[in-house]
Amino acid sequence: MTALTIVAKFWQEYAKNTPKKLKIIDAYLLYVFLTGVIEFVYCCLVGTFPFNSFLSGFISSVSCFVLGVCLRLQVNPQNKNQFHGISPERGFADFIFAHVILHIVVMNFIG
Amino acid sequence: MRFINKCLCFVAIFGAANAGGPTLVLLDNLAIKETHSIFFKTLQDSGYTLTFKLADDANLQLSKYGEYLYQHLIIFAPTVEEFGGVVCVETITDFIDGGGNVLVAGSPQFGDILHELASECGFEIDEEDSAVIDHLNYDVSDNGYHTKIVADSVNLIDAPAIVGNKNVSPLLYQGTGLIADTENPLILRLLTASSSAYSYNPQTPIKDYPHAVGKSTLLIAALQARNNARAVFSGSLYFFSDEAFTSPIQKAQGGQKYEKSGNEAVATMIARWVFKENGVIRVSAVHHHRVGESEPPAAYTIMDDVVYSIDVQKLAGDKWVPYETNDLQLEFVRIDPFIRMTMKPVGNGRYEARFKIPDVYGVYQFKVDYTRIGLTHLYSTTQVSVRPLQHTQYERFIPSAFPYYVSAFSMMGGVFLFSLVFLHYKEDTKPKSE
Repeated sequence: MTALTIVAKFWQEYAKNTPKKLKIIDAYLLYVFLTGVIEFVYCCLVGTFPFNSFLSGFISSVSCFVLGVCLRLQVNPQNKNQFHGISPERGFADFIFAHVILHIVVMNFIG
Repeated sequence: MRFINKCLCFVAIFGAANAGGPTLVLLDNLAIKETHSIFFKTLQDSGYTLTFKLADDANLQLSKYGEYLYQHLIIFAPTVEEFGGVVCVETITDFIDGGGNVLVAGSPQFGDILHELASECGFEIDEEDSAVIDHLNYDVSDNGYHTKIVADSVNLIDAPAIVGNKNVSPLLYQGTGLIADTENPLILRLLTASSSAYSYNPQTPIKDYPHAVGKSTLLIAALQARNNARAVFSGSLYFFSDEAFTSPIQKAQGGQKYEKSGNEAVATMIARWVFKENGVIRVSAVHHHRVGESEPPAAYTIMDDVVYSIDVQKLAGDKWVPYETNDLQLEFVRIDPFIRMTMKPVGNGRYEARFKIPDVYGVYQFKVDYTRIGLTHLYSTTQVSVRPLQHTQYERFIPSAFPYYVSAFSMMGGVFLFSLVFLHYKEDTKPKSE
């Protein structure tokens, strides 16, 4: 088995067995992740001059990623026994609340 | 700031009465008043009120009800073993601590109490009966012991404020030598002996190494204390006498003959210096503000451009006149000096420095610390606080930060879009997955 076949197998399994809802979250996470990487590369190239702006931009994407992962964990039907009592709706509401606070802080700090 | 100005005015009023002043002269015997009449006459002519007393006068006192009766003290009493009245070494050192100036002259018979006083001031007088001997540079009128030495005026200290012009005739000196700690920064070596001199009892054979040899033998030495009080010690009372002032001087071994020794000129200058007629400077005003303003702000901001100016005055007679120099330095200190620069004279005794405050906030001082030989210690500090930029003072919308702005907003938009999709999708898929 080569690495390629493993990846292909993984992709097939993922496409077949993952609920669509989680795939949407994954797409969102991929987007956030790439934004964070681009920002970091830009900072390495240009330098840290408006350091507060860099920090707030980078931290906002890192936090979005973390919050997205948390949401994914709570929404995943396989984790239901770990999060019983917390409905996916409740998880989503928490997600939005955390985002509101995060973005207020980011806007304050970005300068 | 205004308060400081008021203080300075107050000091100025007091300072104006500085030249001259009441002076106590302590003598061994009243004959010294006659033998040193030229020296005392010069002092009286320049405004000093001399009070002559015998050193063992029973009513001797320096202060009354906590106030000093005299500003200056002359001790021309080498042999005194104990002062009369309430005067002792401690009262004299208190007098110096209180800002009084002291001139002491001795002879080979220096009394114990003067030894003690000298060591309080950081000098050591050589043992009793010892005299400075110089077998190469003695005067023609010497009595054979080679103790009446001819001190070259090149051995005077390089400070016109103290000894005046160095181009004077050689100086006659007969007396004991002084030793001072070379580490002591407050001591000034006004006149040193030549390199062939030493200090020993001229009547006895030399058995041990002399205490003072060559240039380390001080003939006249001064202490300017940290409170700017001045004390001068001379090992020779003869140095100030009429005889030394008027007699011709010639080195016995093929020296040039001078009609008159340089003693009078140098002694007068030293007396004027020790009694604070010369070499007295002070700060009269300090101003600081941002460039383009005229009042000091409550606090400076980092990277501000600042103008600092200081007015320095010198005492001339009984008036304060602008003091001109080109080596006055300013330090901007927060524990360590962040900036040290030479100030530019802008005329009339005012010095100005312009600089940019460093990019570090904290409590700073503008510090001027000016120590020059022969001048009083000039020290002025002004404390200011330097604060960081206010939240509204930072630069905004920096071009190189635009990617960060975009990403932050895209994160917001991303959440919004994601929420829409996520919420709507849920309803659609439910029937399918079941």
